[in-house]
Amino acid sequence: MKGTLLWRNRVGFTSALLMILSLHLISSGVKPGDIALRPAGMTLSIMAPVESAMNNFAQGSTGFVRNYFDLVNVRRENERLKAELAAVKSDQARLIELETENHHLTDLLDLKDVLGGNSIAANVIGSDANSFARTLTIGQGSSSGVRAGMPVLSFQGVVGKVIVVSPHAARVLIIDDHNSALDAFDQRTRTRGIVAGVVDDGITMKYVERSEDVRPGDTIVTSGLDGIFPRGLLVGSIKSVMGEGPGMFLNVSITPAVDFRSLEQVLVITEMPEQPEHTQSASKG
Amino acid sequence: MVIIFGIAAYLALLIQTAVPLWFPFRALIPNLIIILTVDLGLRHHGALAALIAFALGYATDSMSGTTIGMNAFLTTGIFLLTYEVSSRLLVTNALLGAIAVFFAVVIAGLGAIIILSGRGAPSVINSAMPTLTLQALISAIVAPIVFALMAGSKRIVGLPDRLERE
Repeated sequence: MKGTLLWRNRVGFTSALLMILSLHLISSGVKPGDIALRPAGMTLSIMAPVESAMNNFAQGSTGFVRNYFDLVNVRRENERLKAELAAVKSDQARLIELETENHHLTDLLDLKDVLGGNSIAANVIGSDANSFARTLTIGQGSSSGVRAGMPVLSFQGVVGKVIVVSPHAARVLIIDDHNSALDAFDQRTRTRGIVAGVVDDGITMKYVERSEDVRPGDTIVTSGLDGIFPRGLLVGSIKSVMGEGPGMFLNVSITPAVDFRSLEQVLVITEMPEQPEHTQSASKG
Repeated sequence: MVIIFGIAAYLALLIQTAVPLWFPFRALIPNLIIILTVDLGLRHHGALAALIAFALGYATDSMSGTTIGMNAFLTTGIFLLTYEVSSRLLVTNALLGAIAVFFAVVIAGLGAIIILSGRGAPSVINSAMPTLTLQALISAIVAPIVFALMAGSKRIVGLPDRLERE
């Protein structure tokens, strides 16, 4: 065996085979339930508890580090007073943090009441492992009723949809990922389009014909026609409209309503609210 | 070797997914998975190393985006490149490793953009290049530390930490 061409080039052959396998995975695409997604669910199960713990530790350690630097140059006779002050400050910071969290959760509860249907709140515990993809890990999974395809919202607007679920965590595809697409319309003119992510460049509204009246500042909301997101949820506002160059459609850039980088809590819609009968009126084509 | 790289990949993915939540400057977070892949390519010349490189990418795919196979393809390709470079070099030191990491992070970033954006890649590359270069630089700076930690771990379990030709 040793000394044969195959043995001498085993690293190259193995790598080439694995690269062909990867290309097959990329080109065939992966649908929910595929065998290729099973390792993703397993990885999520293994990672989620530690991610969650790290998140909690980071929040706690921020206060600890701050207190340490506050006290480092203090004279001995002032230490007790400083420590007390630091403790009070720490408590205050914790209270402010709790108050902020309370506000977020209250906003989510308000949103839940407005939406109807069933939904559950979840903490954001992780982000994407790659700089060019946009996903989040949330701390609720199939044991809480979360399933792939469920819409995820924040009190600011649409966040994305669930793509991978493990018992106690789930991964959410954010609407600014290049693989994300949702049906939406301009609230002022009812012009429909598909809101999709652009790699490393926010979100855009596709398939808006040049004859349509869309302007910067217009509000974009979900149409409910994609069967995933309920109708009327805020997606964002139009940042710019460009019609230069060839093509049938306008280039509509959108500022998302949600600041995806600072998300802490989200709402997963586990049971869709009843769609109003006039949903089709949003359609123009 | 599998266990060491498994633990290292687990920690690397934890850092890469958890840190961006508290630290907003994503470009300053090194690409640890690519550093581990370069370590494999530079120091482990066997078919098992190629499989580990593929597994590193597949694990990243499990925690990233929706294009399953993309990171697996990129890490295997980077492993093969660094393996070929390392096979032709007389020495393999931390500086060479850092340079390899710099180029590997850039290649992985460009590869991801091309796979994700297709024909729209040139414009995305123009806008993403400064961020990508910064991340590659940070990764290259961090790389010698990771190499040292990996070498230490390998020594503990009795694995050779220098070039290993099967």
